[in-house]
Amino acid sequence: MAESRRPRVAALALAVGLVLADSSIVVLALPEIYRELDTSVSGVTWVLVSFNLVIALAAVPAALLARRVGPARTAAVGLAVFAGAGLACGLADELSTLIVARCVQALGGAAAVTAALELLPATVGSERRAATVWAAAGATGAALGPAVGGLLTELVSWQSIFLLQVPLALAAAVPILAVARHEAATRVIEEEVRSTGRPHLWANLALAMVSAAIAAALFLLVLLLIEGWRLSPIEAAAVVSAMPLAAIFGSRLTERVGDARSRAAAGAILVSGGLAGLAFLPKATIALTLPPQILVGVGLALVLSALTETALGGRAPQAIHGGWTISSRHAGVVIGLLILTPIFTADIEQQRHDAIDAGTAVILDSPVNPLLKIDLAEKVSERLDEERGKVPTIGPAFEPKPDDPSQRSEVEQLQSELQDQLDRGATHAFSTSFLLAALLGLIALFPIGLSRRVDL
Amino acid sequence: MSGRAGNLGGRALVLGSILAALVLVGAYLAAGGSSYEPEKVQDPCKPRPWSDPQSLGQIANQFTISALDGAACQLGVTRETLALALTTPERREAFEQRYGIDDEKLARAIRAGLLRAVDDAEEAGALSPLIALPLRQTLQQIPLETAIEIINDAQGFLGDAEGFLGPAQGLLEQLLPGGLEGLGLP
Repeated sequence: MAESRRPRVAALALAVGLVLADSSIVVLALPEIYRELDTSVSGVTWVLVSFNLVIALAAVPAALLARRVGPARTAAVGLAVFAGAGLACGLADELSTLIVARCVQALGGAAAVTAALELLPATVGSERRAATVWAAAGATGAALGPAVGGLLTELVSWQSIFLLQVPLALAAAVPILAVARHEAATRVIEEEVRSTGRPHLWANLALAMVSAAIAAALFLLVLLLIEGWRLSPIEAAAVVSAMPLAAIFGSRLTERVGDARSRAAAGAILVSGGLAGLAFLPKATIALTLPPQILVGVGLALVLSALTETALGGRAPQAIHGGWTISSRHAGVVIGLLILTPIFTADIEQQRHDAIDAGTAVILDSPVNPLLKIDLAEKVSERLDEERGKVPTIGPAFEPKPDDPSQRSEVEQLQSELQDQLDRGATHAFSTSFLLAALLGLIALFPIGLSRRVDL
Repeated sequence: MSGRAGNLGGRALVLGSILAALVLVGAYLAAGGSSYEPEKVQDPCKPRPWSDPQSLGQIANQFTISALDGAACQLGVTRETLALALTTPERREAFEQRYGIDDEKLARAIRAGLLRAVDDAEEAGALSPLIALPLRQTLQQIPLETAIEIINDAQGFLGDAEGFLGPAQGLLEQLLPGGLEGLGLP
């Protein structure tokens, strides 16, 4: 590759990675946003849903626009819009402002990503290599997103996630803008491509279903770790990093098995198996989340690459069909979140009621002094109310501890029994949602079975 | 990769994935992954047998639970809901609004609960009949606030009752031939 093209390839890869990371980067910041903007779990879900919904709707029109007005211009303007909306997200002090800014950010993002797929062949020299660079940049962004988001949320603030995107998006826009002046050069590629058929229905349908399951896996697991088990965003980021690490291993398997349909089926089965494992966690322990995460990670690497390959194989122009795959994946994320959010929010609310009843029952049946137990029951129920669905550390409700050593040990035993009840209850509250997500992954096996790659 | 080798590799990958998923889910289920049930709250109308209380603190504990059970049973709510409702005036008001209960109905239910607690204590041998008798009469008259105080501080209440009526019981046992049984009390 010519030296002069490297900055441009890096800029395009950065643009794709940045935008596709954005659909998952805020996952670990959601609990913080939920508390700071004083909203509900369903409300905060729209910070994710709005972005993915707009990308799903705008990806194909953005690809058409890129071909009409020129991909470099579209990508540069898209990145500028993405940066401006990112700034608005970072400054938002109300949920509605944040959601509107996220929608605008998604419009810019859709333009940048689809135009990048149109620009890359001219930059790297071949369509196949362009697709590889594009897919790798997107996968890296999506995989790193949650961890980076978690780190920034804890070390700086949730706003910093969006503010950091501003200089990065502008930096990516500069080399692309230089190409825009010589936009005619990309027409060479345009002349080479043939318009070959409709989008691959089955592969794109399967992509949507699997993406719904994967988004649910990530979103629910993060909520369970932060809201249920009280991990900090950095700790949760470290835990969920198991998934992208396993995905790296999964991508090696991709190279060894040629048959895309088998890879897609194996991947969907692994994703579903991992999600079912998360639904049946025997204890509220981080280590037990690792085997299911490994299955989901390996599975997502297999199934996403195989289905994207099938959807794009032998079809042109790549930008339009790439637009369809992006649209399907993000529509899947939206469907997954919209189906599961009401279910798990109802389950969490039910769990909160059960926890208050169970906690009071445990306290009333304990041998501690009646005056003390009534006081404890009140403080524990107050903490459960204050945390609005988050399972609290009930330690403060048990302070100060009684001076009498025998009462003290009774109170400590009671505290540990109660915390165990609450932790197990919180874990159980996510089970139905994880199982439904696993079912979505299994249903994807039907379109996978019907999908065949078209080689023209 | 040749087509045949590719198919074999593909088949092995699918079978391996099924196996891995089944092993994981099977292991988690075997370890109790589906056994979680939230702690069930008991029906307050069912009798809750007293264990053998050895100290005033233990008697007070079981007295409180019996009283809450009795009152909750009358109101048709759980013991836990009632216990939390009685912790502050604000919670009590919210409870009364939610269940359509007025102060009078609540007072009647709590008095009934306290009477059940006295019966249970007497039956368990934790309260002598001589103390239980005047306690019942007192409890039937008390206002709501006092009834709530007694539930929240059963130990103080029973300690006071014991302190006041205990010496009278000792005196009667000394004066009457055959002790309290001679009075024909249950």
